[in-house]
Amino acid sequence: MSDKVLVIGGGISGISAAVEAAEAGQESVIIEKNPYLGGRVAQLYKYFPKLCPPYCGLEINFKRIKQNPKVSFYTLSEVQNISGNEGNFTVTVKVNPRYVTEKCTNCGACAEACPAERSNDYNYGMDSTKAVYLPHDLAFPMRYVLDKSACGSDCQACADACPYGAIDLSMEPKTLEIPASSIVLATGWNPYDASKIENLNFGAIPNVVTNVMMERLAAPNGPSKGRIIRPSDGKEVKKIAFAQCAGSRDENNLAYCSAICCMASLKQATYLRDRDPESTAEIFYIDLRAPGKYEDFLRRLQDDENVTLTKGKVAKIEMDQSTGDPVVTVEDILGGGKIKKQFDLVVLASGMEPAGPGANIPLDIPFEEHGFIDPDRLADGIYACGVACRPDDVTTSVQDATGAALATLQTSAKTAATAGGNL
Amino acid sequence: MADESVENNEESTGAEAPKASAEAEGTTAVATDESAASAEAETSGDEATAEAAAAPVAAPARSIEPDIQFVREVIGAGGTDLKKCFQCATCSVVCNITPDDHPFPRKEMIWAQWGLKDKLVADPDIWLCHQCNDCTAQCPRDAKPGRVMQAVAKMSIPSLSKPGFLAKGVGNPSMIAIMAAIPLIIVGLAVGLLGHFNPPRGEIVDGKLEHAGQIVYGQLLGHWSIVGVFSTFFVISIIVFAMGIRNYWVMMKRHATEEGSPVTGSGAAQVGPVISEIAVHKRFGKCDETKDRKISHLFILYAFVLLFLATIASTVFTDFPLLWGGTGSVSPYPTISVVKLFGYSGAIAGIIGIGLIMINRFKHQVKVGLGSYFDWLLIIVIALLMITGIGSAAFRLGDIGVLAYPTYFIHLSLVMFLFIYAPFSKMSHMVYRATAMAFARTAGRDTPM
Repeated sequence: MSDKVLVIGGGISGISAAVEAAEAGQESVIIEKNPYLGGRVAQLYKYFPKLCPPYCGLEINFKRIKQNPKVSFYTLSEVQNISGNEGNFTVTVKVNPRYVTEKCTNCGACAEACPAERSNDYNYGMDSTKAVYLPHDLAFPMRYVLDKSACGSDCQACADACPYGAIDLSMEPKTLEIPASSIVLATGWNPYDASKIENLNFGAIPNVVTNVMMERLAAPNGPSKGRIIRPSDGKEVKKIAFAQCAGSRDENNLAYCSAICCMASLKQATYLRDRDPESTAEIFYIDLRAPGKYEDFLRRLQDDENVTLTKGKVAKIEMDQSTGDPVVTVEDILGGGKIKKQFDLVVLASGMEPAGPGANIPLDIPFEEHGFIDPDRLADGIYACGVACRPDDVTTSVQDATGAALATLQTSAKTAATAGGNL
Repeated sequence: MADESVENNEESTGAEAPKASAEAEGTTAVATDESAASAEAETSGDEATAEAAAAPVAAPARSIEPDIQFVREVIGAGGTDLKKCFQCATCSVVCNITPDDHPFPRKEMIWAQWGLKDKLVADPDIWLCHQCNDCTAQCPRDAKPGRVMQAVAKMSIPSLSKPGFLAKGVGNPSMIAIMAAIPLIIVGLAVGLLGHFNPPRGEIVDGKLEHAGQIVYGQLLGHWSIVGVFSTFFVISIIVFAMGIRNYWVMMKRHATEEGSPVTGSGAAQVGPVISEIAVHKRFGKCDETKDRKISHLFILYAFVLLFLATIASTVFTDFPLLWGGTGSVSPYPTISVVKLFGYSGAIAGIIGIGLIMINRFKHQVKVGLGSYFDWLLIIVIALLMITGIGSAAFRLGDIGVLAYPTYFIHLSLVMFLFIYAPFSKMSHMVYRATAMAFARTAGRDTPM
């Protein structure tokens, strides 16, 4: 029997569940498919409503992991098999090769020497990295990784360039069998594919971006080094529009409210407004959802003369051919009629799609109709938390993860009691 | 946020807790005040929305009296998903036909949800809508605004075409037997009183036997009997329509004034432009989802134009010469004659058009829906009209009397059906849509074409 909690997903929810359990004395292990921990939060520029950098919160969590011998984690990993039951699971994990060992000092000599490039998924494809790359400035573990699918055949440039011999091109995938008393599903979310929203022309109009891309555009470690410029011509954005419910609350796309997009757009409006007093932002909404204390944040934006909140959904975006400006069509419901407006950049407040159904976890997971996990129907000893279960903000996900951690402790206690009884 | 949570997790000190709860209380208190205030604001805001939706000029606040029965009727008449609408206005944006000024169908959706019947029946936009159903296809809530618009348009007919109960009867599937019986009885009475149910072959013209042994439909119901009976009902329908146009115009004007944008000027100047627009179906061409409707509907339009021309030709070549003592050609007309050429080409256009309409309906079934009883009643009547028209000619030429006379009788009854129910069935759209188009032009809120 093992008394270990296995957490699938190393985003903010998974990290929180593992760390909380570990700090209560429970051994925990995180399985993460990316080469780094932190998930979607690591890709944010600022949190709402405090507008502090998520790196800060992540750093604290990474410190908790480093300081606590009861937490371990595997990056580049995927779950291949789960057997057993509550208190007695065996999880088979495939750990894919990083090709970069602990000797790495992040000197970057490998990337300088590397001749191949790959699209940078950390920046949502808005730039590229070398085939050997550091995922991002605060990557944890802080170590380069090689994407061998981007390499030319027989290329050894990085290995030859590394002064520390940290690159091992012969590294093979490893398979581990991890015994676990309970399992936490923290599979998180993916940004909804905005190109599926037929009338908004994402993909066809370069200056229409999604909200997750906007985070990267505003972030100092993003593709434009924190300058909010538009993709087509690098022009500084002065006039920005946010199209709320882009794909969310839409039977043709995501039928549910993604919960965070209103606050995200309000927050992103400040990215531009805080840098440029001349800039303007217009948010087109059906209803603005700023629950609880978040209403103060909404009020802050309402008080800004250069921020306009317009009731009416953007249901058509075209491109002005001469300027490349996106032109939105909306009905200004509060009396303005059907209007067309031209902007430098349009941000689609596109929603969150649960990553669980696509994560191929070899487990009979009770998904509800939209692909979120129904935690009430999970088998004993298996728990789920965060956006895997419902669209939510970071605060709520962390609280939810803490609840899941408590549940794993209860499983352990129960298992221990049963084992004691059997003796 | 997360860092805050992390801090709490790391050092959840008791000292901080009271402060936090005090803060929370403060927030709650504020929120309560605000929520009361915002509830108030919302109520007046909603009214403002309704006003604003139709009037940029602030109209005086007035309470809303929802007609719940009307809401139920809209739902029953095909607007089944009306209540799903959450007023996002995707519909007004994706509609290529709506004027930009007070666009439809978003405002109609909330009027229908609120049971504001008076606003709706006086609204030019319920007939300006061409049922492209781009709104229905794109609606994020699957509320099917196109169907609601159609249901409301149908329900407005009793307020326009009098007597209203006829419109209610035509629109009610359970009344089909009675509604179908009326034209059959009228034609049956005409045949019984003025013609022969078992007509002799050939006919005597000026004392001579013509078309000996042939089927002559004139023996079932003679030329002048047809002219007399059908013209009577045709003229009645014209009068009902004329009164309907007047009713609608007055209602639209009053509605526009109530909404704060009064409309002056006469619609007469717009008759020409509206007709020339209809002639090429400009608006149908702007539909995205159901683009193919332009062609099928044009076929039907011109089928009726050709059939009308056939009637005119018969008046010119038969009635006038007969009236002036001449001996014009009598039924059956020669196969190569102006009347027959118009008639045959009209029938062919009609068959093609109605066939395409039915095919299109099934093609767009998933995104747009098949359509309502109200639609299909007209589609089926027109299809049968064309089939029995061609059948009558074919059975006559093939000399199959046992089929020819009943087919012709049914054909006459279908023509009568269209004539008497024109102002009450979906057929009325040709008049009320044109009226709405003329009004929109008069109001200066026409869509640029």
